[in-house]
Amino acid sequence: MNNDELATLRARDFWGALVLIAVSAFFLVRTFDIPLWGGNRAGVSSASWYNSAAIVPLGIFSAMLILSFVLLLIAIRAGGARDAMTAAGIGWNSDEAIRFSTIGVILFFFIAGLVPRVDFIACSGLLITALTFGYHQGHARRMVISATVVSLCGLYALIAHLPQSQWAAHDDDVVTLLGWAALTFVMLRAAKSDRVLKICPVIAVIAPIILVCAMAFGFRQNVPNRGSLIFSKIEYHYYVSLRPLWRS
Amino acid sequence: MDFVLSQLAGFGGAFAALVLDPLTYVYLIISVFLGITFGALPGLTATLAVTILTGFFGNKIPLDYSLIALLGAYVGAIYGGSYPSILLNIPGTAASAATAMDGFPLAKAGRGGEALGLTTTASFIGTLIGTIALLVFVWVLLLLSQNIASPEKALLALFGILLSGTLMSEDLVIKGWIAGLIGLAMAMVGLDPLLSEPRYTFGWSYMLSGFQVVPVLMGAFAIPQIIEGMRHMKVGQVAALKGRILPNARTIRKHLPTITRSGVIGTGVGALPGVGEDVAGWVSYGVGKSVSKEGEKFGKGSLEGLLCSETANNACIGGALIPLLVLGIPGSPPAAALMGAFKINNIIPGPTIDPEIILRVVAIMVLASFTMFIMGLFTARIFIKILQIPQVVFLPIVMVLTTIGSFSVGGGINDLYLMLGVGFVAYFLNMLKFPIAPLVIGVILGGLFDETLRRSLLISGGDIMVFASRPVAGVLLLLNLALIASQFPIMKRWFGRLRRRNA
Repeated sequence: MNNDELATLRARDFWGALVLIAVSAFFLVRTFDIPLWGGNRAGVSSASWYNSAAIVPLGIFSAMLILSFVLLLIAIRAGGARDAMTAAGIGWNSDEAIRFSTIGVILFFFIAGLVPRVDFIACSGLLITALTFGYHQGHARRMVISATVVSLCGLYALIAHLPQSQWAAHDDDVVTLLGWAALTFVMLRAAKSDRVLKICPVIAVIAPIILVCAMAFGFRQNVPNRGSLIFSKIEYHYYVSLRPLWRS
Repeated sequence: MDFVLSQLAGFGGAFAALVLDPLTYVYLIISVFLGITFGALPGLTATLAVTILTGFFGNKIPLDYSLIALLGAYVGAIYGGSYPSILLNIPGTAASAATAMDGFPLAKAGRGGEALGLTTTASFIGTLIGTIALLVFVWVLLLLSQNIASPEKALLALFGILLSGTLMSEDLVIKGWIAGLIGLAMAMVGLDPLLSEPRYTFGWSYMLSGFQVVPVLMGAFAIPQIIEGMRHMKVGQVAALKGRILPNARTIRKHLPTITRSGVIGTGVGALPGVGEDVAGWVSYGVGKSVSKEGEKFGKGSLEGLLCSETANNACIGGALIPLLVLGIPGSPPAAALMGAFKINNIIPGPTIDPEIILRVVAIMVLASFTMFIMGLFTARIFIKILQIPQVVFLPIVMVLTTIGSFSVGGGINDLYLMLGVGFVAYFLNMLKFPIAPLVIGVILGGLFDETLRRSLLISGGDIMVFASRPVAGVLLLLNLALIASQFPIMKRWFGRLRRRNA
């Protein structure tokens, strides 16, 4: 590690140590909610300190607090506090910030918005297309386009069908499929002679179908959103049209 | 003698049962192939291979097949890391970092085929050395571990977390310790194991059962890799593979002492709780450089240097399984993922483990190493083609794999939120150079540490001398204290003076 990298790391350590101190202090305070002396739970007296469920967490968060202060001290001594507010000190890079935040947005809306509510094949296809198109050549504009499409589909699913009782609805499946088709169209227009982008739609269709079918019919496990638009059809034809072929 | 014969008979029975079952080969070939592929693709690791397969095979097929799949992937992935190290000068896994030092210069000199052939053979012999050590020492330690009670278990768990934090830290050692403490803290969530007192549940019923191991593993190992890998990167120029891959028997005979020594070192390092294959590779490389007659050639294309790291990292697998099976303390990060698979199958590794499982693990390891050897020698060119796949193609598929794997193990959306949360935290910790392995080991050992520490105090009526008065506990306590004290500036200065005086 060279001097510049070390200076950046110590500036980040300064912030990291402050966050750790805050987190340790918060959980240390919450630990005192657990009876330490003289508590009685479900008829079991925890009168002695060594009986308490708080004793180990108390040790863990105290040790974390002490080590966080040591880390803070090391960071300050190495000039971390001085550099903490400078962009160079914390290693801020706008390209990297766009890259990270767009990936963060894509992953958040995929997990929180799409997976619980939308057909898994459709949302996985959209994810594969968005990540490949957005990050293959490192163009910031493509990253933003990918993140926008995924977040629009995710937001629609979240807003239109927030409670679990509405997760079986199919309109968000259609919106996601449209988003996926639109992104694929944009990607293929940009692909020209790029082999990775050209092959991406094939991977985006085949990979999720194989994975979901292997999990649902091979391992007989639960898969997200079983009653969704595409998977419900596959499941129906597997049990009604295909399975009887070898069962009989 | 009777003991050895009974062990051999037990192993023979387990081996024959596996060999005669056709399904064994299906799982073995698929898992070793997937393992080598994961190892060969820079950006995917052995830990990730075992973690993802835990999501798929962990509790969905009989335990025997699940162990075949996971151990096959583990062995394959550690070996697979050597491909990009030799042909691209990029370690496929951290375990193969030392391999690149000599592998790539050899490939550039037109000896890539020879390097791959020898690496395959060394990895095979290394895995066998580790497996033999596993077969022998696991029983000796199991006999000894009958005397290990709660105080020793608590101190051993703490030692594993501290040692992992100390040795896996790239920057400051306290970062490793803090990572271990974060893992321990995560393990405190849910109902406590003795009094069923809810801790840090914030009124959310999902939290009552605590953090599930598989989503935590997936989040800690997969999400940061995906975030880090999704960037524009030119696929490196693969060095042309010249020469035959099948190794020369005379060369192997010549290097057999190096292979044996490295195998023993790798097994020993693997047996240390929480220390992984990368440390084994570097330790063996360092020892090799200092004892070899051609030490000055290390780093410039030395076959001995190549064999030192590659034998040790594969031998480490058997070593890492010793503390896992005997004490329930994973010897390496992939072994921690393997422990997750045991946990979701309701098997508690440790002194009470069913001896049949140990014999099956040994038999699977032998079969997996044979499969790896054959695949390495005869299908190497397929894996070389795989090296040319860009990360942006396979990482999105990994994300889909982790999502469906994590969902199906717990069967809930909450596990996915947990996976994502842990993933982002792990990414930031990675950015700040906090090692992730101690965090995961902390999560896995947290429950054991909490339960055994409090049980010790409960039995002794709150007398903390229970951790010092028993002989084994006393030694372990001293080891823990020495490990902590060794990081104090005053001790570091003292060690430095001592080293200078000796030099």
